[in-house]
Amino acid sequence: MSQSKQEKSLVKFPGTGADDFEQYTDENTVLIQRTLRSGQTIRYNGNVVILGDVNPGAEVVAAGNCIVMGVLRGVVHAGASGNEDAAVIAFRLRPTQLRIANHITRAPEDENDTTFFPEIAKIKDGVVTIEMFSTFNDRQIRN
Amino acid sequence: MGEVIVVTSGKGGVGKTTTVANIGAGLAGLGHKVCLVDADIGLRNLDVVLGLENRIVYDITDVTAENCRLKQALIRDKRFNELLLLPAAQTKDKTAVSPEEMIKLCNELKEEFEFVIIDCPAGIELGFKNAVAGAESSIVLTTPEVSAVRDADRIIGLLEASEIFSPQLIINRLRPKMVRAGDMMGIEDIIDILAVDLLGVIPEDDQIVVTTNKGEPVVRDPRSMSGQAFRNTVKRLKGEEIPYMDLDESGFLTRLRKIFNRK
Repeated sequence: MSQSKQEKSLVKFPGTGADDFEQYTDENTVLIQRTLRSGQTIRYNGNVVILGDVNPGAEVVAAGNCIVMGVLRGVVHAGASGNEDAAVIAFRLRPTQLRIANHITRAPEDENDTTFFPEIAKIKDGVVTIEMFSTFNDRQIRN
Repeated sequence: MGEVIVVTSGKGGVGKTTTVANIGAGLAGLGHKVCLVDADIGLRNLDVVLGLENRIVYDITDVTAENCRLKQALIRDKRFNELLLLPAAQTKDKTAVSPEEMIKLCNELKEEFEFVIIDCPAGIELGFKNAVAGAESSIVLTTPEVSAVRDADRIIGLLEASEIFSPQLIINRLRPKMVRAGDMMGIEDIIDILAVDLLGVIPEDDQIVVTTNKGEPVVRDPRSMSGQAFRNTVKRLKGEEIPYMDLDESGFLTRLRKIFNRK
């Protein structure tokens, strides 16, 4: 099943045993230890992890996954070089615009910020889907 | 050795010049030696807001070009003996001063004054870079509008790039009634995005327009709410812990009534 294959490649947890550890270590990741403010941009040919917020007017473009340990309010583009398996994860996912590979989405205009838990955005069946981020569920899928 | 503080906002019209005038006058009113520097070369306003326009002989470009001595260009305020203004040039543009010249100027000024407050022009181009060059700390000003908060955020990022960290925030023109009705961004909403220390909250006040047009800082007006807010802000800038005002208008009126009833 292609769906479960996608799920598998999203977020990898070394130590669960099912896969070869080598396959997670080849991708390069950059760690940004600050808040990105309006006008600031991060472009990286790999995964991007941000310890801070991404404010409105800021932009993150990553060839791999993008993980924000804070509030994501700006523009984010994961899998920018065409990787449809890339995901965006944020403690609070409130992007101005969210792109994964060549899919472009924006938040519905009439909805308020009502979620107060981490969320993950990924492509499922060709549509960008946002779900509550739970490491437990992903572990279940793996096993 | 004094402190060089730049007041900046990115967006125009949020009240930088008014804030600089009032903080300067407030500090001078408490007996501090203060120098205000108008870095908005080409569009000078600070002298007008302070009512000192007709006393200008030399300006900041004359000082940097060494056409005059620094002391000759400084204008003493008519109300506060310890408040001096270095006016901007009206006839030149922002290229008339370089960041290196600003650094030299600021170093010279902080020998003499306890507080050197720089009025930064709107925008993020050369004028901003000049104004920021000599500063050690900053006050970022915003109004409760999405565009102003966005620009303030950009400015905080640019200040960090110029190695001016932990700016202090002043929220200007807040209308508590509208915030309560959910029609305006509240203090928490702004702090949530900008994540910086709050220095003061100035309520929207018609009295500001009246006093600014007269060339008289509102901080000297003992009755107005904005004047009180500026006095509190000035004390916080000095490091005192002052509680935030109850900006509830009805609360303010009831308090006024109480005062009248007592008499």
